[in-house]
Amino acid sequence: MGEMHGRDLTRRHAALALLVALPLSFYLASVGSGTGSITAGGVGMAFAVSGATLFSILSAGEVDQRLVLGGYRPIELLLGRLLFLGPLGLLIAAGFSVLMASVSHPARPWVMALGVAMVALQSIPFGLAVGAALPRELEGTLVLIGVIGLQLATPLNSTASKFLPFYGPSRLIASSLTEHGHILGPLIQTIVYGFGLLLLARVFMARRVDVQHHPLAEPG
Amino acid sequence: MEQLVASKVLKRYGGTTILEDVDLVVRAGEVVALTGENGAGKTTLMRICAGLIRPDSGEVRVGGPIGYCPQAPGLFELLTAEDHLVMFGRGAGISRAESLRRGDAILEEFGYPLRERTVTRDLSGGTRQKLNLALALLTDPSVLLLDEPYQGFDRGTYVNFWDHCEKWRSQGKGVVVVTHMLAELERVDRVIELPAHPSRAHRGGHQ
Repeated sequence: MGEMHGRDLTRRHAALALLVALPLSFYLASVGSGTGSITAGGVGMAFAVSGATLFSILSAGEVDQRLVLGGYRPIELLLGRLLFLGPLGLLIAAGFSVLMASVSHPARPWVMALGVAMVALQSIPFGLAVGAALPRELEGTLVLIGVIGLQLATPLNSTASKFLPFYGPSRLIASSLTEHGHILGPLIQTIVYGFGLLLLARVFMARRVDVQHHPLAEPG
Repeated sequence: MEQLVASKVLKRYGGTTILEDVDLVVRAGEVVALTGENGAGKTTLMRICAGLIRPDSGEVRVGGPIGYCPQAPGLFELLTAEDHLVMFGRGAGISRAESLRRGDAILEEFGYPLRERTVTRDLSGGTRQKLNLALALLTDPSVLLLDEPYQGFDRGTYVNFWDHCEKWRSQGKGVVVVTHMLAELERVDRVIELPAHPSRAHRGGHQ
């Protein structure tokens, strides 16, 4: 499944290029404004990975249900996507990290890279949950834009920010701008939130691909 | 031996009753045509029999694995026919090589041998539907649920499809074909007309 999802996604050249170009433009447009650009680029990168994840789910349409009818378990469909999207997300994160480290010079580049990697990994269960819950492209994309946009616009120390999925990674990225800053707390917060999103995705996915396996007819 | 037994199926969407007290029995080696006006619930009934929709009440039992061919090809747009065959075959525990061998044999019978690596988005509607049919047949199912599977078929392939129905009959499969093509009804064993639910008869049906 991972292989097939990978083929399907990597053939969407234009869409993938646009998904990466969007957060890149956020970062490049704000480079002159100081270290805030790192947050804009790092968190904005969530658009790329969660967008790719959303496309992966929505391109399946009714096929996923036929695959379950044909013998797959719903968890296999989920894991197949994770196996491809995980490395893809980390690859995009690595590219962003190298660029931002060399241009913006954060105090602790490795913490920034960790934060950006966490954005990528958090984007996957986020995209899966949105795609599984909202099976139409427009609604799903609007939710992505809304949530990520809100994360970017909301001050990190506000109450609202704490409830958004990229709060933990945002704190990590903010920590990277100084020599001292929390790492463990934001990391744990990210992992816990990520598991919650994954469970949500699992529940929505199971409902979306629900197949009733009928009992055998009696011989007669 | 009965390959498909649907008993007292009820399905409502909101306040609208689509199916009520519907029974459908298909024996091994039988080809049944399911006809009816648009919106009568033929596709809904097929999807319930396939297990893709849960009825509000009623029961479905089957004599073996199900092969389902939907009316509109639900395929990955950017995967090739080979990709689909391998993916569907893997779900049923069939090896890559065997999936391609079986798929190629089925598609060859319907005039689309696997020689090109075109993604399904770039295939004609009829060719996509041939692939759809091949995916339904890949695992050699006992029950075939075919919802107007010949959409987009050229005349030759269309005739070929009905020849295959006779072959599936001789193999002991239970076959249900949703069709509006009344000219072919002499080639089936039974015709079942599904009327629209009385509560919807005045408004005309929609599906």
